[in-house]
Amino acid sequence: MLKKRLIGVVTVRQGLAVQSFGYSRYLPLGSPELVIENLDRWGADEILVQCIDRSVQKLGPDFSLLKRVGDLGLSTPLIYGGGIRHTDDAVKVISLGADRILIDSILWDSQPMIEAISRELGVQAVIANMPVHIKLGQIYWRNYRSSEEVLLNINTAQQLPIEWISEILLTDWRHEGFSKGFDRRIPLVFPIIKNPFILFGGLSEYDQYTDVLSIPNVVGVGIGNFLSYKEHAIQNIKDKITAISLRTAHYTAE
Amino acid sequence: MNSSSKFPPIKCRRCLYTTDHPLGLTIDEEGVCSGCRIHEEKDSLDWGKRWELLKELVAPYKVLSGRTYDCIVPVSGANDSYYVVHIVKKCLGLNPLLVTYNKYFNTPLGVRNLANLRIKFDCDILYQNINPVSVKKITRTTLRELGNIYWHCLAGQTAFPVQTSVRYKIPLIIWGAHQGIEQVGMFSHEHAVEMSRRYRKNHDLIGLEADDLLSIFDTLNEDDIWQYRYPDDATLKMVEVRGIYLGNYVRWDPKMQHEKMMKLYNYLGANLDRTFDSYDYVDCFNYMGIHDYTKLIKHGYSKVTDHACREIRHGRISREEGFSLVNHFESKPVPFIDQFCQWLEISPRSLAFILNQHGANNRASVGYDGNYEYSQQKRRAPTKLLDPSEILSKLAFESATSWELKAGDQYITFGKGWSKNDRTLC
Repeated sequence: MLKKRLIGVVTVRQGLAVQSFGYSRYLPLGSPELVIENLDRWGADEILVQCIDRSVQKLGPDFSLLKRVGDLGLSTPLIYGGGIRHTDDAVKVISLGADRILIDSILWDSQPMIEAISRELGVQAVIANMPVHIKLGQIYWRNYRSSEEVLLNINTAQQLPIEWISEILLTDWRHEGFSKGFDRRIPLVFPIIKNPFILFGGLSEYDQYTDVLSIPNVVGVGIGNFLSYKEHAIQNIKDKITAISLRTAHYTAE
Repeated sequence: MNSSSKFPPIKCRRCLYTTDHPLGLTIDEEGVCSGCRIHEEKDSLDWGKRWELLKELVAPYKVLSGRTYDCIVPVSGANDSYYVVHIVKKCLGLNPLLVTYNKYFNTPLGVRNLANLRIKFDCDILYQNINPVSVKKITRTTLRELGNIYWHCLAGQTAFPVQTSVRYKIPLIIWGAHQGIEQVGMFSHEHAVEMSRRYRKNHDLIGLEADDLLSIFDTLNEDDIWQYRYPDDATLKMVEVRGIYLGNYVRWDPKMQHEKMMKLYNYLGANLDRTFDSYDYVDCFNYMGIHDYTKLIKHGYSKVTDHACREIRHGRISREEGFSLVNHFESKPVPFIDQFCQWLEISPRSLAFILNQHGANNRASVGYDGNYEYSQQKRRAPTKLLDPSEILSKLAFESATSWELKAGDQYITFGKGWSKNDRTLC
């Protein structure tokens, strides 16, 4: 059985690593490179860097940050998201050291571009971020730039280019950053079942991780703010979760 | 400098910080900074409940045999040392081992306050005296590379307690306030953030660990830096080391706390040239001197801004009054340059040359004639400037005038005694 993954999420806004709460409130953390370096040392299974203001401000990907992160010589696979507009951006992001890319805005703007990117990089390198929440039992997909929402059902979901996407990051945007916030109905009612899910947004407790990782289609969880509060946060989760198959905790010895 | 510095700075509408703050700062839709927002929690949290959480947290660390210490408390001759030990020993009933790093820039009052702390609280204390030759070599390197003379102090103060925790197998370290919370609102108090290697490297050490200082182009070597290494992850795990911050459980107000410590234990403050706070940094010749000026050169503001923001948030002064105090103190002369140059064995012209290379703004520089030039032209007062003496009277910081530093005073480089002069211990 494939091991499931703990993915350290680093949210970057205006060049600064931040804690994010419900896509609306932010607290400063410090240098993105040092947060990333720390997750690498802790043995996160994957690191997701999401630069949340790049598309809104039409800045393109943060190549400068990627260059600095590339210089760290990480041993952990890296996902980059933020500002990717077209195939050239995607290729450059990978050439600077990212292993996979996270797309969000392109899903709304240019679905054919997703096919083009996947043909260039391979489907395994493309992850779709879908900020969602559940209202009256139905799941809504949010365009974070316009704050508009679309009801997701079988019909609307069929229009998405899911064959060109490897995994879907389901972000509970309303509960993002809030302890015990994640709405566990999200992976159960989400209308696409072909793609594996990564869950993110308000996952903070050991029993939550065990619970959602035991859902068959969930391959990993993203953890952001909650990794900044205690030393060895990743290792602590791995040490505590015994019912799920994860890479073992690693403590660096000099 | 944080990586957000390429974005135009935005000012907080409540305090005096901008998004250029080296720890990082965010501004919300109402124009209020993260530091001010998190400070609001001080008036909304149930501190009684948080105190109970603290008691629960420390209870397992109480050593019933009494044959070792319950926890480690890092102290200096100033800052919040007295209040932390007061809380730990008198209120929580723990038996702490105090640890202190000798920064070599000790003032007579700092040494006096530290000795008095040890006596009044009847605690054991460990001093770490690093070979002064290495300390000077490190200081020369960090001054040249980072424009920072205080790296060794911050590295030592943050590594020695953790090394001691490992060496003595005392897992719990208790710190005072978390600087990132107090200044920029990095975390909510309810996040109960704990000490971490990442925070230390990022914010205390300006991104450079001890090993990062080594270079083939420098005389600094392994023998000079090993004492500043943070224990590795496997060792921290083996001892289950954790460092907690009292500020997450106790409503933190340094001014009120210091005044309480003065009454209870005869803590003493002294007037400092470049700030109105006479309590915080009286243990050091340089923190409010040359180190303060390097902050102004590199970041465009100095420590008095931190003090003013704190007092604004606590509601003791207005934003306009805070600005007036900053305006008054930032331009004060930089004291004890000669002592620093003598200690580091460099000339004042060399110091001026290095400092000017690190200037990231046009507000402060150093002339080769030793004139520390400062420009206030780029700062615009929110309204008119107010008379600082009236504001200072209102704030009423206390000081022991007999302990104020004089021009010819010298560093006390060995920390166990105190100056034999007419100043008395208590």
